[in-house]
Amino acid sequence: MSATGSPGPHHLVATRPAAAKAIRARQGFFSRFRMMGAVGLKMMFHSKLKLIGTLLGVVFAVVLSNQQAGTFLGLIYKNVMFVRNTDCDLWIMPRSTEVVGPGKLSTSALSQALVTKGVADAAPILIGGANVLLPNGGFQQVTLVGTKYPNYRGGPWNIVAGDRGALARPDTLIFEDSERELLGGLNLGSVREVNGRRVVVGGFTWGLIPFGPSYAFADFEVARELLKTPQDEVAFILVKLKPGADAAAVKDELSRNLPDAKVFDRKDFEASVLKFILTKTAIGITFGTSTVFGLIVGFVIVSLSMFSAVVDNIREFGTLKAIGVTNLDLSMLLFVQSVAYALLGSLVGLSLVAQMAKGIRSAKLALNTPPQLTLGTVVVMIIMCVFASSLALLRLRKVEPAMVFR
Amino acid sequence: MNAATLLPQAERVIEVRNVTKTYGSGATAFQALKGVDFPVNAGEFVMLSGPSGSGKTTLLSILGCVLTATSGHVQLMGEDISKAKEGDLPRLRRSYIGFVFQAHNLIASLTAQENVGLLLEMRGSSQSKARAEAGRLLDDVGLGDKLMSKPGDLSGGQRQRVAIARALAGSPPIILADEPTAALDAQNGLKVTETLRALAKEHGHTVVVVTHDNRIFHLADRIVHIEDGLIQEHP
Repeated sequence: MSATGSPGPHHLVATRPAAAKAIRARQGFFSRFRMMGAVGLKMMFHSKLKLIGTLLGVVFAVVLSNQQAGTFLGLIYKNVMFVRNTDCDLWIMPRSTEVVGPGKLSTSALSQALVTKGVADAAPILIGGANVLLPNGGFQQVTLVGTKYPNYRGGPWNIVAGDRGALARPDTLIFEDSERELLGGLNLGSVREVNGRRVVVGGFTWGLIPFGPSYAFADFEVARELLKTPQDEVAFILVKLKPGADAAAVKDELSRNLPDAKVFDRKDFEASVLKFILTKTAIGITFGTSTVFGLIVGFVIVSLSMFSAVVDNIREFGTLKAIGVTNLDLSMLLFVQSVAYALLGSLVGLSLVAQMAKGIRSAKLALNTPPQLTLGTVVVMIIMCVFASSLALLRLRKVEPAMVFR
Repeated sequence: MNAATLLPQAERVIEVRNVTKTYGSGATAFQALKGVDFPVNAGEFVMLSGPSGSGKTTLLSILGCVLTATSGHVQLMGEDISKAKEGDLPRLRRSYIGFVFQAHNLIASLTAQENVGLLLEMRGSSQSKARAEAGRLLDDVGLGDKLMSKPGDLSGGQRQRVAIARALAGSPPIILADEPTAALDAQNGLKVTETLRALAKEHGHTVVVVTHDNRIFHLADRIVHIEDGLIQEHP
């Protein structure tokens, strides 16, 4: 076509309709969403440093919030594990009791429980602090649980050495395996003095460490003597229902007949423990603050990174607007980028958390990261990233397409 | 009277009458256009020239629907765009205009084919058709072997040819080019201008080029000189 032999559109229109016609066609919403999403992802992966910077923000938020939330759930579990692992349907306890711990409940409640319709069995337990005399002369405290032969509804569980039947032997206790060194190098058959009385080690559990000292288990009568509890007092009564019995009806009946006590099923008691921890200890506020702090820092990093990415590419966004892209289209682009950042960041962050959980898992502390927490994290990250992109969107809305001519 | 104004109204693609544009207000107000008339007919290849600050880019921006006039009338293909609302402008740009920018303004993260295909999809093509058509357009401008190249891997002349292919995507009736040769050497500048002229002469697009480059003036049907916000057309 040209004298210079330049490539020219010799056959440009030969295969297309006449040029001088307005173009009225327009993509549908979903096609635009797919197209702008694809452009957004390509822009996102084009700038590797920005990608890494933004992902670091999400990963930071995921790791910090998950580590805090996982530790918090782990601590919560340690305080409700006793409730979850006892072999009973209902708990009877003094009205003032909120958590698993010492209590003074009259043994008349036990008699009342045993004659209540629908009750198959009721067994008392005792709980109290006890001091173990160490070979070097010092003391180490344990939380002593007295549990009743033959069903031992109050534990022990997670036994890693010996067996529960050892409690039937005279003056025999089962201790926490991870505290063996702390308790002066305990072994099966070791002899120690607990609250001034000689006892024999008959077994070990693993991981039974609540907020306070680790649990140690003894037969109910042995525990009564060690804790010097009066004959007419118990801490809790654990009620096992007959098959097919209506738990709510039995609970109501017991509550009516025991005005000085309260009756909880497992769910109620767990809720009570959780409420106590959240409202009457600093644990909830401490971990909650750290979790929120992690989310805020992540939000700020993601927000600034996305804003900075928009500023860096402002001319490209101006060009997109000049060629007919609308603000809604650009919102779609940022939305897809936000979700992609959230998903990628969550994937990396949750992998790190899983490695951390493996690394720090111990009898004393275990990150509890249930699937709900994992799913919740992804959802929260998506919400966080979408909100974080709003600053970038505000900037994009102000981009004048006329800038492309300057 | 010039040739364009003698043509029948039906062939008029661009009609600009008594357009003014004022930036700012009060004491700091600056009038960039002071009552401009600028008719362009179908298939014309018009160059707008003038010194910096003369108002030529403002006029191009108004024609390109990226800026609205302060007063006067602007029609594209018979549609009055003078009173168009902000929200209507993207539709008008998609309907009528193909842009060729001074600095090509390609999306750096997209390949040449994707840059062109983006416009085709925006103008209603399916993804697969857009991809195929973008390939054909790039082949037409001599870049059939650069479909998967990103702008960073192309020379200045090649990028500008991708930009021309993008401007042609969907075959809009009006092509507006802002200093398309400014970043190119003489030979590439001439090639790009010849390509733009071919769009007008052989294929019926109406092409308006803003340029300072007097080496390409000889290719224009008309050279419209604008100075101090007023048109001074050369015969």
